[in-house]
Amino acid sequence: MLVAGGYFLSELAACNPAYHVIKTEIVDDTLRVPLSSFAQSAIQFVRPQGWYYDIAVRKTDNGTYESLLLQCTHQQNQLVPAGEGYSCNLHGSRFGNDGTVIKGPAENRLKKYSTSIEQDKLVVHLKS
Amino acid sequence: MKRLFILTALFPIVLIGLAQQKPYETKAQQLVMTNEDSLHAGVSNSKTVISGYGSAFYQRDFNQKQSTVTLERAVLFLGHQFSDKVSFFSELEVENAKIAAGENGTGEIAMEQAFLKFNLNPKQYIVAGLFVPRIGILNENHLPVNFNGVERPIVEQLVIPATWRELGVGFYGSSNKMPLNYSVAVINGLNSQKFEHGTGIREGRAEGSSALANNLAVTASLQYLWKDFKFQVSGYVGGTVGLSPLGADSLGLNSGAFGTPLYLGEADVQYSKKGIAIKALGTYIWYPDAGTINAAYANNMATGMYGAYAELAYDWLYPKHVKSQLITFARFEALDLNATIPSNGIYDGTEKQTHLIAGIGYLPLPNVVIKIDVRLLHTGPQNKELVINPPPNALPYKQNDQFLNIGIGYSF
Repeated sequence: MLVAGGYFLSELAACNPAYHVIKTEIVDDTLRVPLSSFAQSAIQFVRPQGWYYDIAVRKTDNGTYESLLLQCTHQQNQLVPAGEGYSCNLHGSRFGNDGTVIKGPAENRLKKYSTSIEQDKLVVHLKS
Repeated sequence: MKRLFILTALFPIVLIGLAQQKPYETKAQQLVMTNEDSLHAGVSNSKTVISGYGSAFYQRDFNQKQSTVTLERAVLFLGHQFSDKVSFFSELEVENAKIAAGENGTGEIAMEQAFLKFNLNPKQYIVAGLFVPRIGILNENHLPVNFNGVERPIVEQLVIPATWRELGVGFYGSSNKMPLNYSVAVINGLNSQKFEHGTGIREGRAEGSSALANNLAVTASLQYLWKDFKFQVSGYVGGTVGLSPLGADSLGLNSGAFGTPLYLGEADVQYSKKGIAIKALGTYIWYPDAGTINAAYANNMATGMYGAYAELAYDWLYPKHVKSQLITFARFEALDLNATIPSNGIYDGTEKQTHLIAGIGYLPLPNVVIKIDVRLLHTGPQNKELVINPPPNALPYKQNDQFLNIGIGYSF
């Protein structure tokens, strides 16, 4: 059944060509993401070098950008994308795309970083 | 007199100074962080987190004309992050409130989980210790705020024996290229000697308590997220005889890591969008050598067991975009713990069941829930060969029963 499931899932994967992770270095407590990457998908997953958590950067409907640390605020487990948000496999917490809590046990929204635009790059400020 | 004057003059200054200082904290208190603290601590601090969950419920069994009420669970989580790479997680559970030596019908205290987690990178990690493998929906997501109904789905209690935790090592990961999660784990196997007719494989779990480890099990899962759907398949294969070769031979059983194997397969799908939530799950257990187990232990095990359920739920407050949720749901479950039996098995119609559950859950916050539901149970007929105390000594068996459940739950 797992083999059949694997085949089925690999077929489904073709439906998500834009899903990928951008690996980048931290320079002066900032990350830089090419704005052009948002042409493929409104959400980009950014992996700071040396970190054990990804950052989700989302282009909102009004053209602004939001970046969220994908670390569960309950017990610091890594989050995975799930439908319209993110979920934690450890205890089942769920968060919306904007980082708000949808299901417990987490009580606090996801940590948010401020962003700015410099030329053709989106800058994520990790000290914010 | 002069000293007294100075002290009196300084007193308000001292008071203001004390008010501005943080309250005194012991070293242990300084380590323990609230969720709020841990959020602001960023990603690279050593920290300890205490949290938990619990539930209590009232149940009325209309056939028995009996009501009961119990503090079903009070669970304490304790986690510690040693570093970005290494963490510890645990769940200590007290069931039914009271543990007392020599008294019947009292509760249970057990470690539900206690494991070390080693992060390899943001997408992959290894766990080692007592943990709940990814089998079914409920096993990983068993907090009362995360499932509908006062009672956990019956299929995920009797066929998949959640919460199913064992000792072992697990590897978990997510793909960088697609929304695919996977897991594989090696854990101790089940103990067939403790299987009991009527509860499937549930009593064969060791739950971390002096498990026989001559036999092992492997479990694996795949999850794929597509739009508002979440698909999962999972499987389990494991030996069920952990005895020494000598002990096993004397009972005519095959021992070894995967001797007298049991296979479990499961598939489920979940959909969630705009307040609508749908779940469907199906699972099957194949135990080809159940006959030899029956010959050794006389526990009337089946060679095949199945269970399936489907649930539809709607959050009426979703359109208002508030934190509260008012969920109505209906769930239909069907299971048979003796779908196929060996030649030495005795069929028991009461183990073929359907359950129809409908109810309401109100969550004023995502972490607190008040639940009420009704469960309609239907079973097959009782097999007279299995009746030890026939009517009129005992009441005639009724194939239909109704239950009213009212409960509360929390998690933090």
